[in-house]
Amino acid sequence: MNTRQNQFQRYSGWIFVLPFLILFAAFLLTPLLYGLALSFFNWEMLSPAPTQFIGWGNFHEALHSDRFWTSTLATARFVLMATPATVGIALALALGINTIQGRRQAFYRASYFLPGLLSISVAGLLWTWFYNGEFGLFNAYLEKVGIKIPWLTSTSWAMKSIVIMSLWWCLGGATIILLAGRQQISQSLYEAASMDGAGALRSLWHITIPQMRPVLLFVTVTNIIGSFQVFGQTYIITRGGPEDSTRVLVQYIYETAFLHYRMGYGSAMCWLLFAFIAFFSVIQFMAMKERR
Amino acid sequence: MLGESRAKRFSLEGLLLLGALLFIAPVLLMALTSFKPDSEIIRFTGVFPHQWTLDNFREILGSPEEIPLLRWFFNSVFISSSVTLLVLTVDALAAYGLARLNLPGKKPFMILILAMLMVPGQIMLVPMYLILNQLGWLDSPLSLIVPAGAGVFGVFLLHQFFVGIPKDLEEAAILEGCNRFQVFWHVILPLSKPALATLGIFTFMGAWNDFVGPLVFLDSVEKYTMPVGIALFQTSYYAEYGITLAAAMLCTLPTLIAFLLFQRQIVEGISMSGLKE
Repeated sequence: MNTRQNQFQRYSGWIFVLPFLILFAAFLLTPLLYGLALSFFNWEMLSPAPTQFIGWGNFHEALHSDRFWTSTLATARFVLMATPATVGIALALALGINTIQGRRQAFYRASYFLPGLLSISVAGLLWTWFYNGEFGLFNAYLEKVGIKIPWLTSTSWAMKSIVIMSLWWCLGGATIILLAGRQQISQSLYEAASMDGAGALRSLWHITIPQMRPVLLFVTVTNIIGSFQVFGQTYIITRGGPEDSTRVLVQYIYETAFLHYRMGYGSAMCWLLFAFIAFFSVIQFMAMKERR
Repeated sequence: MLGESRAKRFSLEGLLLLGALLFIAPVLLMALTSFKPDSEIIRFTGVFPHQWTLDNFREILGSPEEIPLLRWFFNSVFISSSVTLLVLTVDALAAYGLARLNLPGKKPFMILILAMLMVPGQIMLVPMYLILNQLGWLDSPLSLIVPAGAGVFGVFLLHQFFVGIPKDLEEAAILEGCNRFQVFWHVILPLSKPALATLGIFTFMGAWNDFVGPLVFLDSVEKYTMPVGIALFQTSYYAEYGITLAAAMLCTLPTLIAFLLFQRQIVEGISMSGLKE
């Protein structure tokens, strides 16, 4: 009798979802697919040449371009330094902070998170000042002991300096997540282990790490995704230099698309970046699942 | 035995304290240096200013034609508030619909949302620019406000929260003659204040600190937000660290105050993001 009304009631719920659905479709799904389509076109906003379908042309150009590989390599160097250091140090901090209770625990958690409150442009600006060779703070102190480090001016140091700055900026968030993960572990596991005579190191290896595997995986994968997209730091602190040693992939994409207006080529490189990220995330997933 | 483990604990906390101070120091230094005269900045003379001065702030606020700092500040306030309002409205409605109304087609949609959580935002940059160009929204605050409503994080977060609310209250309200929207408005929203606060603060801080969006989508200097404005500072006032740091301070103050007021929600929000399932 009232099945039609029921049917209406069932579907009418989508009205709640509708506003989000419209935005989601227009500003997430559309750009995603549009970008993919764009990758196969020769779309140059400033050139009089007509836009035309060129198949894999943009991908072919990227994979045969020195600049693409230089910036991919710079990005890879950043990820390979930043992600292990972030996960390792954040885990150590989380386990350390976990041994302290109450207000002091809240103080440490907040202190390590504080840098994350800064916009990347503020954080970058601050560290440009610290790293400056002439009136930089670091060298002012180091000179007293006779050391001078070319933080931003040497090709071997520049990326390391960017990584150090990024660790300062990002560690707090990872630490908070890992601390929450550690606090999910039931105390009874540790009590049972200590009754069996297990020391601190053994319970770390046999209880803490295995129990925290899901949250460690989450932090690692999100950090990989974030690190591959590094851009603000290098854009502000080094502008890609010296000698392209910090010209990361997103900066190259930014320059291609918004300084040279080569939209098709820029989109294709975006999808190559996505492919790298997906590849590393899947490897990470498999590696951590297998050890279970 | 006991003494040894206490000594260990103290040295561990000593290390943590040292690290914490290292993490705080740059922010503190930024704040203190913005009150120093130029002469003390060029030659580092110690952490604290010998002579406190407001000159740097006077200089950046005193010449609005040259440095439209207040303008940038209000642009940032307007954009971040609008984004927060939009995200809270749209996401709360959607999350409620998905969490409660047993919609046909809900499962695949939730899977799509979860998948989108893993998609890196930067790959959207180029097509988004072209879409905004088509809409005529480039160089307008709209380019930063409306697309923000498409983010999936809030829907996911609120959905998890709504699922956890017991159904009895809603059923009672329906028996008393409330319709679905009234239930949402009078029962669900008041119960969800903590989750809404968390999402609101995150959204506001994210929009406030966003750098790449305004860098790519805005063009005219007077339309800039604080973070892009400050980046411009660095190129045009190279090595004038006094005024640059004063501007950086003004950019950081709102997020700093938000953190001091809502520290618990912020920490909980971050913790929750890692504790799915």
